[in-house]
Order: sequence, then structure tokens, then C-alpha cells
Amino acid sequence: MDENALNWIFQLLGRLHPLAVHFPIGLLVVALFLELLTLNGKRIGLREGINWMIYLGAGFSILATSFGWLLRTFDDYSGELVELHQNLGIATALFAVITALLLQKTLSGNISNYLAYRSMLVLSVIFLSFTGHLGASLTHGEDFLSSVLPNNSESYDENKSVVLLAKLDKLDSLSENQLDDLNLGVRAIFAHNCYQCHSENKQKGELVLETKKGVFQGGESGEVIVAGNPEESELYKRITLSPNDDLVMPKKGKVLKANEIALIKLWIEKGAHWSDRTLKIFPEAELALTKPELPATTKEKHPVDKLVDVYFEKNDIDWEDLVDDKTFIRRAYLDIVGLLPEPDVIHQFENNPDSDKRSKLIDNLLNDKQNYTQHWLSFWNDLLRNDYSGTGFITGGRKQITDWLYTSLLDNKPYNSMISELINPTAESEGFIKGIQWRGLVNASQRTEMQAAQNIGQSLMGINVKCASCHNSFVSNLTLDQAYGFASIFADSVLELNRCDKPIGKMAKVNFLYPELGAVEADSLKERLLKLSEVMVKPENGRLYRTITNRIWERLMGRGIIEPLDEMDNAPWDAALLDWLAADFIASGHDLKHLMKMIMTSKVYQLPTIDYKKLEQIKSSKYVFEGPIIRRLSAEQFSDAVSQIISPVYYAAAFDPTGEGFSTRRIWHRERKFDRDVLPEPGKRYFRHKFNLTKKEIIQAKAIISVDHSYTLYLNEQKVSMGADWRKVDKFDVTRYLNTGENIIAIEGENEGKIANPAGILFVMRILQKDSLETIIQSAEVSEEGEDWKSTDIIPEENWLTLEFDDKEWGSVLNYGSKHWDRLLSYNFDDNVSSYARASLVRQHPFMKALGRPSRENVTTSRDNQATLLQALELTNGEFFNKVLEDGASTWLEENNYQGEKIVDALYQKSFGRMPTKKEKNIMLSILGERPDKEGLQDLFWATLLSPEFQFIY
Amino acid sequence: MDKNTVNQRREFIKKMGTASLVAASTSIPTASFLSSCNTPAPINTKADTVILLWMAGGMAHTETFDPKAYAPYEKGMESKRILSSFPKVPTVVDGLDFSEGLESIGSIMDKGAIIRSYKSADLGHILHTRHQYHWHTCYEPPQSVQVPHLGAWIAKELGPINPVIPPFISMGQRFTVGEGEELKAFHTAGFLGSEFGPFLIPDPSSGLESVRPPQGMSLKRFEARYKLYKELTEKSKVMERGSDYQRESLMRSMEQSYRLLNSPESMVFDLTQEPQEKYNIYNTGRFGLGCLTAKRLAMNGARFVSVSTEYEPFLGWDTHENGHTRMIKMKELIDGPVAQLIKDLDESGHLDRTLIILASEFSRDAMLEGRPGKTVKDQVRNQPDIIEDEKFYGMHRHFTDGSSILMWGGGIKKGLVYGKTADERPCSSIENTVVIDQVHQTIYHALGIHPETNYTIEGRPFYTTPDGQGKPILDLFA
Repeated sequence: MDENALNWIFQLLGRLHPLAVHFPIGLLVVALFLELLTLNGKRIGLREGINWMIYLGAGFSILATSFGWLLRTFDDYSGELVELHQNLGIATALFAVITALLLQKTLSGNISNYLAYRSMLVLSVIFLSFTGHLGASLTHGEDFLSSVLPNNSESYDENKSVVLLAKLDKLDSLSENQLDDLNLGVRAIFAHNCYQCHSENKQKGELVLETKKGVFQGGESGEVIVAGNPEESELYKRITLSPNDDLVMPKKGKVLKANEIALIKLWIEKGAHWSDRTLKIFPEAELALTKPELPATTKEKHPVDKLVDVYFEKNDIDWEDLVDDKTFIRRAYLDIVGLLPEPDVIHQFENNPDSDKRSKLIDNLLNDKQNYTQHWLSFWNDLLRNDYSGTGFITGGRKQITDWLYTSLLDNKPYNSMISELINPTAESEGFIKGIQWRGLVNASQRTEMQAAQNIGQSLMGINVKCASCHNSFVSNLTLDQAYGFASIFADSVLELNRCDKPIGKMAKVNFLYPELGAVEADSLKERLLKLSEVMVKPENGRLYRTITNRIWERLMGRGIIEPLDEMDNAPWDAALLDWLAADFIASGHDLKHLMKMIMTSKVYQLPTIDYKKLEQIKSSKYVFEGPIIRRLSAEQFSDAVSQIISPVYYAAAFDPTGEGFSTRRIWHRERKFDRDVLPEPGKRYFRHKFNLTKKEIIQAKAIISVDHSYTLYLNEQKVSMGADWRKVDKFDVTRYLNTGENIIAIEGENEGKIANPAGILFVMRILQKDSLETIIQSAEVSEEGEDWKSTDIIPEENWLTLEFDDKEWGSVLNYGSKHWDRLLSYNFDDNVSSYARASLVRQHPFMKALGRPSRENVTTSRDNQATLLQALELTNGEFFNKVLEDGASTWLEENNYQGEKIVDALYQKSFGRMPTKKEKNIMLSILGERPDKEGLQDLFWATLLSPEFQFIY
Repeated sequence: MDKNTVNQRREFIKKMGTASLVAASTSIPTASFLSSCNTPAPINTKADTVILLWMAGGMAHTETFDPKAYAPYEKGMESKRILSSFPKVPTVVDGLDFSEGLESIGSIMDKGAIIRSYKSADLGHILHTRHQYHWHTCYEPPQSVQVPHLGAWIAKELGPINPVIPPFISMGQRFTVGEGEELKAFHTAGFLGSEFGPFLIPDPSSGLESVRPPQGMSLKRFEARYKLYKELTEKSKVMERGSDYQRESLMRSMEQSYRLLNSPESMVFDLTQEPQEKYNIYNTGRFGLGCLTAKRLAMNGARFVSVSTEYEPFLGWDTHENGHTRMIKMKELIDGPVAQLIKDLDESGHLDRTLIILASEFSRDAMLEGRPGKTVKDQVRNQPDIIEDEKFYGMHRHFTDGSSILMWGGGIKKGLVYGKTADERPCSSIENTVVIDQVHQTIYHALGIHPETNYTIEGRPFYTTPDGQGKPILDLFA
């Protein structure tokens, strides 16, 4: 308390900093100027004055610096700019003091001439200028100076008003078209100078200068425009007041430029005509594709290379040598199928003399339909906001499109068909435009119709509708009207516009954002969707094709031709390249695989990666393309690669493309608390199920079982099997345990852990009897014969395994569903199924989440792929990953006969596609020791999988 | 994502622009520059650490910290007679009564403040997870982008205090329970980036496992493994070339995680180090042990810690029947540990710089669903007008028009009672009504996070509170 009592004094002093700084600035600069006048021994009379200025300047610079330090400390300023300003300020003060000391030494004769002192003075003033400039940047904004330089206005070319004025000023009468131009010119001035306070979003003085109605209606003090008479128009009067007048507009100290005022004057004089054309303030990309010709001058053969060659030429960049086969095959595998190439595949590829082998490899990989689909599924799930679990599903307020999506990718459905089917959907694909319906009241800008507009805008068209769905956008030209017009396409009834969640009494008029593509109005929802689906995919809608082309480029190269990927009005680093690729994509029949192949067969794709010190360099608008960027394996790629090399990461999938028929819902003892079903407590539970087999010879019977956490299975009192890993399905022949007539299954299950947690039994038995009679017995709440599975949590008497045991007192089992376990890929009677589930098919899981898989409540078009601490923790001590490594170590040791060298070689080849160097091998072997054990190997795995060489696509 | 400095800059202009003008023009006396300077008071930070004690499921204010007239159970009583099903008990603060069963917390109210006038948002259909989302993020779900949890904002703006303790720790909630997906939706750093997301410890009694080398791995082996990693990566050809941000961030994150898992601080999670007597006070279940862990964390440099009584539909505070009986259990769960947490932090001197908040998404009532004057779906259709069975005795409907928030430490006034609710049904907030934006801004204020802190996401600025409009309740601070 006490020590803070004096804070206000320091704070006050700190705030005197801006005052104090002007003393050293004035004194030292003038001193330097006067010093210059004394050069060559002239004007000796100035000496004394200069001396005083130097001493005072040095003194004040110390004072100013101290105050500055106080200001920073007590007013909590921070940031790089502040820090730089501070450091330069301290340096300046230091130099000023040194200057003063040198001067004094010179005057007292210790130094023979003025050179040292004068040099120091010059240095001080240079530092002073920089410091002062930074201080001004802090106060007025970094672009304070540069913003007034010519050609620095990014979105608004003020030369336009000059040109327009020059063109129209001299004319006696203006054509309709010229009047339109004049009006738009004036409105651009309004937009940049007045909208901040006088727009529909913020109606200061009740004046809106954004719309015709607003401009002519005026504000709270009446009309602001008198057509034909500028001098009588309040608006003109206010912008022509003296800059120091309190009533001047835009505001005191900031007035319009002369040519702008003149243009407004001219507009009012000419009758203040209002044009029906829309004003575009923000730069907008042309909707249609330009049809760039391939450059003829280059010696490159591939279309992409021809275009990039011209770009390189222009930017003075040399072609680097292409990457070697090993690097190429790794990239190609990971990019197309999301898996690592096997060592022998790499070997063959390297030794293949075919000069066209890279192109052929790409073809082969693109033809691996299942793996291609299971890799690219993640990209589309992110983009189309499709997931297997998440908010909304609980009440049916959300629908998956996985089946449709999977098939579409498997068949390489033309992109235009995909889009048509998403917009004018069948039951399988309607999940995308249906959005997520939350229970209760939601903000008007989040109604499902608006979600459809936002998501189509962002995912497919690269335009931000989110902003405009609440108020007129301030990042694009989109208006609230347009957003509602777009959303209305998806609405059953007419929508009322809401601005910032408040109804404004205006009804929406159905309209697509780009009316030039064709009308979408129709009476019924179905017809509107049909029309929109046709309009969207027209080749004239270049934006649709440019957007997906840019996304695919970014996936393969690490950075889009336009960034951010969802802002397709931004300038591309090479417009010809983007539009050529998009046009070629259309010409190929909207073939996504063609587009990928076009990019991947280019030399450009095969260039070595470029290093960047900061992510900002890549995302910068000044980015210059030099080659691909180092990418990190996605959550799915990493998980699949580990499954490939070490041990399955996932055994069960939320979506199983093979679609086996057995129910995957698990049963357990029903547990209740306060009359509610709850998760089971840890402990042992006992289960019984009786069934009858007709009196026909049993030919064969097989059973499969998986229990979370562990079980012992008995058939007719005989112990059949035990297990403790629900992820691995136990399969066995049970023919010998069964009888015709009555049979009894008994299972002792145990739920582990310290607190209540999911537990469940999954059991199927298939019995073949004579005359092709097949019986299936499954674990279920109510068995098909109508006979229940029964269970208890009380240790039963010893004879509980027998048919005769009376289980009337036992409770009934509960179906705990499959949510916690999903569909085990090996849960069938077939022995040759894939041993692991591709991560793209798995429900969101903490491990995936830690590695950057997004929750798909919102569209996610680029993942955050930088490593984080939480991620590193998950990989370093996470139980889940550790278990995978442990399982892997056991298998590897057996497979490699406990031979250290063999293990190390295999690990390097599988992980990195190369043999270890001698040094690497020695390090590895020293860990493994004479007789490799599980722990040592587990650690080798860990170090390998987390190394940059494994984690990155380079 | 761009952090917007524009607004800080605007502040700067406000603060300094005037000053420079004054400096340049001698005609204005310095005094007027000072008086015309209408900048908000700069924030002197009052707290470094925040502990949020989350009463998930809707804690009835009239049954806990804001008791009304007691109506003991009688067979055949009218439902509408129940305002409180417990008698009042006095607390250490004169004139402040709590409900029976909260005597320990009552005994430490001279160290903190109670807000009795919190009002939840009106989100239509009353749903726990939506209101919890709103409470924790300050934004009403759904949002068009993923919005961050309060803890993530704090982690992002202030970072860790002790570099080896994650700045945002969330304890006590599992996501495998019903509505787990809805809970996940706000346990996130959202657009701030996963780096600032919660370090989740569903079961505080096994928190140690989350911060130690993997189970079964000796420290020696753990160190050797990291050494191996370093050696191998240094030899790797991918490391040969220049520096790349991807590689740098990978190496940095691995180093941090190694340091954390190998640090003595991780013993903070080892609850066996606590004296048995004290451990017993805390050990009322997972929530109590969470409080104990939170105490140990706060003393060792944690930034934001939340401890939740787990939310599971129809369990915990979510009493749709047997309200009275279950309330007894819930009070037993929280009373001892919460009081002990405050006492321990006070004794060790950490209470001054630690802000502790106890809150719930909304309250409950025997009669009203939602709030007066709003018709929402009644979620307890079987509540009879005349009670013949004790299971109908209690607060079984969701009430959003008034509830209590408790705060201690971090510059909060001691013994303060802020706001009040009506003594007769509806027991709505009737004085100094507080909404969530104010609660968040009060927390940020204590931590010195500027109210205009915001980031541009997809072209739009997102503030700590919607549009940066939230105002702190300065009256709460000493």
C-alpha cells in the first residue's frame, strides 16, 4: 500500500516526458546548426551560446529519458517499438552527455580540436532524430509519415479524385455516365473520410453518408445537401471551415484535401446526382478468370515452370537443382496418400532408370484410390466443417456428410458436381448447408441460413460473409443487405435484417453475392438451391475455381499463391499462374487429381525447400516465391506414419468405409445414481446369457470379443479366453464348447481405474449348423431371441457359470453405445483386414487435438502447424503415445530377433528412408546395449519420431 | 492473427497527443493539460494468479450463499413455499448469513467479497453447457470463430509466472461424460492458438502423472532419452541447413517440455507431500483435491487454474430432483476445501496476489424456469404443486435472474457484500446487477490486462469482452 502511495508522482512525471523531449530536440538540433555556421573558424561569437545549448541539451536529454522510463513503467507501455524507442533514447542521452564532456575537454584544452566533439554532436542528433521519429510513431501510429507518401494508400487511390476533377471540371454539361463517375468519386471520399462516424454501423449526429437515403435525408440538424448550391449545403460548409474550427469536418486538425473539396463542390453544383452503381471501396478480384497465354519466350517445358520462369526472371531468382529421388518420393507419398514410402519402394524408385519415373509415381499414387481418399478426407473435413463428433450432434442439430464425401473422393467426382451437390444437396450431402443448430436462442448472425452463406463464402469462394452478416462489412465491400440476400436463398421464409442482432424492420431480398452470374430468385427453397447450384459452378465464376486451386497449391507447396486462403480479393504473387491453373482445372473437367498432377509434375514442386526465420515472412503480403516451404506432418500424417512403422495408433474408426455389419454397441452392467444411468464405477461385473441351438450338427462356431478393460469368457462352464486390451479383438474357434440345445455364456468383466469410466463388452459368435443354418449370438441389451443378458455387481456363488444357476435376482445390462470405442476395424470374422485405422477416420481425440487437428465447429482452412509446449508434453509423457511405443517395442524386438544393428538399420530406413550414418548408428547402439530391451528401443523410437527429419516434409 | 496495437496506440494518442501539443505551445498552462487529460486510470495490477472454483450445473443461490426464508419439509407442503430448504447460519461478517452447511466458508468471508446480484444471459432454452460456454468465454454460443476461454486470454497476455508451470490449467472435468462435446467447445484457446489452451487434469489426484516422465520411466532414463534426442537431431542432415522457424519451434517446445517434466516444480502435484491432517480436510473428493492442487500451484507460480465440481447432466449441482438431499452432499464437497484454500493462501502470504473466484453458470428455483417474464421450455415437468414425496423438495428448475459469486484476494475488498436479490420469489437481482462482461473485465483489471486488448480474426477485431465494452466493477477493489 505505502510504497504505491507515491506512484502518482512518478506517473505524473512520466507523463511530462512528451513535454521534456522537445527541449533536447530543439537545443541539440539548433546547436548543431550553429556549430555548422562556425566551421572554418567563422562566427566565433556563437561559441558561448552553443556551449550553453549543448550543456542544457545534454541535461534535458537525461531528464527526458528518465521521464520516458517512468512513463513506460508506470503507465504500462510495452512492445517492440516502445523498447526500441527506449533504447535509442538512452543512447541519445548518453551521446549528448559525451558530446558535452568532449566539448568541455576541448574548451579546457585537453583535446586539441573540435573534431571529436563535432562528430559526437552529429551522431547525437542522428540518434535523436530516429528516437524522435519512433516516439512520434508511438503517438501517431507507425504509418503517420508513410501514409501521406504518394502510392502508399493500399485500398484507395486518391489520384482518382484528382484525375476525375481534371476531367469533369472543365465540362459544361455531364453525361449520365460522367455524373455516375462523379458521384462514385464523391462517395469514395465519404467512405474514406466520413464512414467512420457516419455509416449505417455508426450513425453519429443521425447522419448516414453511406446510402442515398441517408445523404439526402440529412442528420439531426436537417438536410446537409442543397442540390445545385454548395454554399447553402451544410455538408459543404462544414468541410470548408478553418481546420481549427470546432465544427470542421471530418474533424478538427484533419480536413479534406483541396481537390476532394472541389470534387464534392462540383458534385453538388451539378445537381448532386446519385448513381445506382455500387461503390467498391475495397479492392476486389475480377470474378472471371483472365485467360493467360503461356509465355513463349521461356525454355521451360512444363506450363507451370514456364509461368514461374517468367516470374523468377522478373524477381531475379535462379532455378535451383531439383531434389533427389529420396526426398521427392517422400514428398509425393505424404502429399497424395499421406503415408511414408516403404524402404524397398524407395530403393526401387531410386534405381529406376526411367526418366519419366516421377510423373509415373504421381499417377500411381493418385490411382491408389482408398489411400488418396483417406488422406485428403482430412482436408475436406476441415474445409467443409464435417466431423464425427462435436457440438450439435447431441440433439440432431448437425449432420455428417462423411459417406457422401468419402464416395466423392473415391470416385474423384468432378469439382463442379461436388459443389452442386453440396449446395443443392441430397440427404447425404445436406449437412454442409444445414450448419449446426444450437438449442435455445442464437445470435441472428449465427442462424443456420446465415451459417450456410458464411461457410459457402469462406470455404468455396474465399470471401468473408461473417463480417457482413452482422453489419456492413469493414473488411470488404459486402453489405448487410447482400449477406441477408445470400442467406435468404437457404431460408424457408423471408428473413428480416438484423444489425448487430437487432431487427431493423427491413426484409431481405433473395440475391447471390455475384448477381452477374445469374438470378437465383424462385418461389421455393428447392428451386433456389437448384438455381444457386447452377450459378455457382459456371465457368464465369472464376473465383470458385481460383479458390480451390489456391488451396491445393498451398497444401502441396506450403504457401498459397494468395494468402490468407480465405481472402481471395488479396493480390496473388503471380496472377497469371493462378488463373492459368484454375482455367486448366476447368478445362480438365474439374478434375482435382489433374490439378494436383499439374502442380506436382512441375519443376517448381521439386525445388528444394526454403528456410524462413519467422512465420510472418511467409504470410507477408510482400512474400516472393522462391520454392516450397518446410511443412510439418499433420496430426493425421504423423499418426499414420507411426502406425505404419511402430505400432497401430488407432484400431477403431468412427467411420468405416468397409462397413462391416455387426453392431458395435457395447453392454455393461447398468449403473444408476439418483435414478439416472451413469458411467460404471471401477470393479468386477458378472454377465450371463443363455441361448438355444436347434438339434442339428454343429459344423463350426467362431467367436470374437473385445472388452473394456478386461474379461474372462466361459462357455458352458469352460474357460475359453481372457483378454485385457479392448483395442485388439480376440478371435477363436469355439466349436468344441457348444452343444445343441441350451448353452450358457458367462463373462467376468472388470472396469479398471479410480473413478467411474466407460466399460463395455462387445461379443459376437457365429454358429454354422448342418443345412447351412447360421446363428449369430451378439452382446446386446435385449437379445434377438428376446432373452436378456443379465448382470450383477455382487460376487456370485461359485456355480454362476452353470446353466442351472438362478439369475433371477440379477439386473439387466445397459447398452453403452459405441461412442467411447467406435468401430474396431478388426471386429469381424475375417483375418486379413488392415491392422490400423487411418487417423482421418477417427473421432476427435486428445492426441489428435494436441497435434493440431481442429475441432470442426467452424470452417478451418489452415491449421496452426507450429510445435507447442502442450503438444510436446503430450508426445513426451502422454500415456497414449507412450503405450503405442511400448507395444511397438515388443513387436520389433521379436521380429528382429533382439539384434541391435538390425533394429537400428530398419528404424532408419523406415523412418527416414535412409541408412544411419556411422555416428548415428553408434549413438543408437550405445543406448540399446548388448541385449536390446523394450525400454531402450522405446526410447530410440521416441527420439526418431520426434526428430525434425521425421516431423517435417522438407 | 494480428494483435491490434491500434487501440493501444489510440490510447497513446489520447495520453500523449495532448501532452505534445502542450509542450509545443506555451500559451496553454501545464495545469490545464493535466486536467483535460481524461485518460482512464492506468491499471496497477493487483493479482498475478487466478483460481476459478467452478460450481458446474447451476448452484442455487438461495440454498447456498444467499439464503431466504426457510421452509422445512412437510409432507403435503406447497412447492411455492420453498425459498430455501435450509436454515440460515451467520458468517463472520456482521449481517451476512449463509445457508446451513457452509459454515467454514462463512468463517473466511472477512477475507473476501460476495456478489449477490449476478445475472446470467438470456439464451432462450436454458442449457448448462451454453451458459457455461458464455460464462467462460464471455461470448454467447455459437460464434463464427472459435473463441478462447478466459484462462487462454490470460495465458496469452501474461504467459506463465513460473516458466515450467503451464499458464492455463483446468482440473476436475472429464470430457467423456454426457455433453462432453459441448464442454470441449469452450475448453479451448480458440483463435489464440493451441499454445494457450488448457492443460487438462481431469483427476487432480493423479495430476502428478501429467507432469512427470511417463509411468515406469526412471528419471535417469528420462534424461538419457532426451540426451539421445539432442545428439541425434544435431547430427541430422535436416539440421544442417540454416535456421527455420518450424525447426526452431519444435526444438524449443521439446526443450520446454523436458524442463517441465524434469523440474522440481512438478512435485507441486504430489499431494502426498501435504501433511495428512490438512490433506484430510481437502479430501472431500476430486474437487477438494483439486483445491489442494490449486493451492500448491498458486504458491509455485501458476497463472490461471480452474477447479470444477464436475459437470455431468443431472448430477452434481444439476439437481432435477432430490434437490435438498443432494445439496447437503454438494456443500460437504466444497465447504471444507474452499475455506482451507483461502486460509492456506492467506497464511502463506499468497492471498494478496491471488484472485479466487467461486461461481456457477446460473442459479436454481423451485418454481421458475429461466427468469420472470420470459417463457422458456420447462425442463422439470413433473414437479408437483403439492409435495408428497421428499424427492420433490428442493430447487429443481434453472433460474437465470440472480445468483452469487464469491471472490477473495487479488485486491478484492474484505467483508464486502455487493448487490442483492429479492427476499420473495422471484429472488431476482434487484441492486447493482452484474453481468458476465463485468466479471471478466474485473478479473482482467485485477491482472492489469487492458480492456481494449483485441486480435483481428478473419478481418474482425475480437476483444476480451464483446466489442471491448465490458467494464470492471471497481467497487469490488479495496
